[in-house]
Amino acid sequence: MTTGALRAGAGLASRENSAEAAVRAFFAAYRGHDVEGMVDLCTDNAGFRYVPFEVWGRQRVLYGEGKVRTVGQVIWTALIDAFPDLASAVISLRADGDGNVAAEVGIGGTQAKDFGTIACTGGRYQVPHLFLFQVTGDGLIDDIVAYWDNADWKKQLGCLEVD
Amino acid sequence: MNACRLAERFFARVEAGEVDEILGMMTPDATVSLVPLNRHGPMAADGASYLRELSRSFPDLVVRVRRLFVAGDNTAVAEITIDGTQAEAFLAVSNQEKHVDLDQAWMLKVTPDDRISAVIAYWDQNQLYRRLGVKRLDKVTITAR
Repeated sequence: MTTGALRAGAGLASRENSAEAAVRAFFAAYRGHDVEGMVDLCTDNAGFRYVPFEVWGRQRVLYGEGKVRTVGQVIWTALIDAFPDLASAVISLRADGDGNVAAEVGIGGTQAKDFGTIACTGGRYQVPHLFLFQVTGDGLIDDIVAYWDNADWKKQLGCLEVD
Repeated sequence: MNACRLAERFFARVEAGEVDEILGMMTPDATVSLVPLNRHGPMAADGASYLRELSRSFPDLVVRVRRLFVAGDNTAVAEITIDGTQAEAFLAVSNQEKHVDLDQAWMLKVTPDDRISAVIAYWDQNQLYRRLGVKRLDKVTITAR
């Protein structure tokens, strides 16, 4: 193997490691309910999409999609407010050399306030999530997408309406 | 074949309903986790059964790969959209010929000899129910027209 190839390999590993480190820091801040810290780990214009987040009103559907500093920050703050003991545990983390990271994360908590259409009954939930990140070469998160099953979440909290 | 091309072929076969061919891409003891269905088991049983039902219920199924990358451990991670019109009962939901488009995320663990050893899939079953006309999570067989 040439020195150039060795350097390129080391660069890929380094990008993988720095991307993983950024995501681990993000979930550490999440565990600490430090929304500001979560946001600070992202670029100014970081994208945000919580795929299952759809609120169906009479006139229009609101999606959990936009930017971390607008939509993401609001959702995280509201979630922690409604579930004050919200906890998250990283189950697996996988990264490539281009800043893509997939994280399987268990998230759960006890409901203390209404959250969206889920009225508070004091129930507790635990739901597996898959987060996909794009992390820049500088180690900042530039995009967050998350998948989970809202049906499972709502059933655990006693909310049986689909909408 | 690299993991990226293998994943593209996997989803093309999901779209075509070629379940036997999909099983031919797997290791003999490959596992599947269909997280929203809480189905975790052998791909040859749980995975095949789900894919056959999907293909039967949505004969015009289109699977679009929106994002695909391969992690350092040779796991292909894909965001896909499935799109189709219901033609038969699906996951106990009666057929109302509703059109469905649903975003999902799949992970395919690939062995060094280009076989898939594990499949993990995430989606929101609530979104699927909404698109199929289900109104209540405890009565998924009763749908609204």
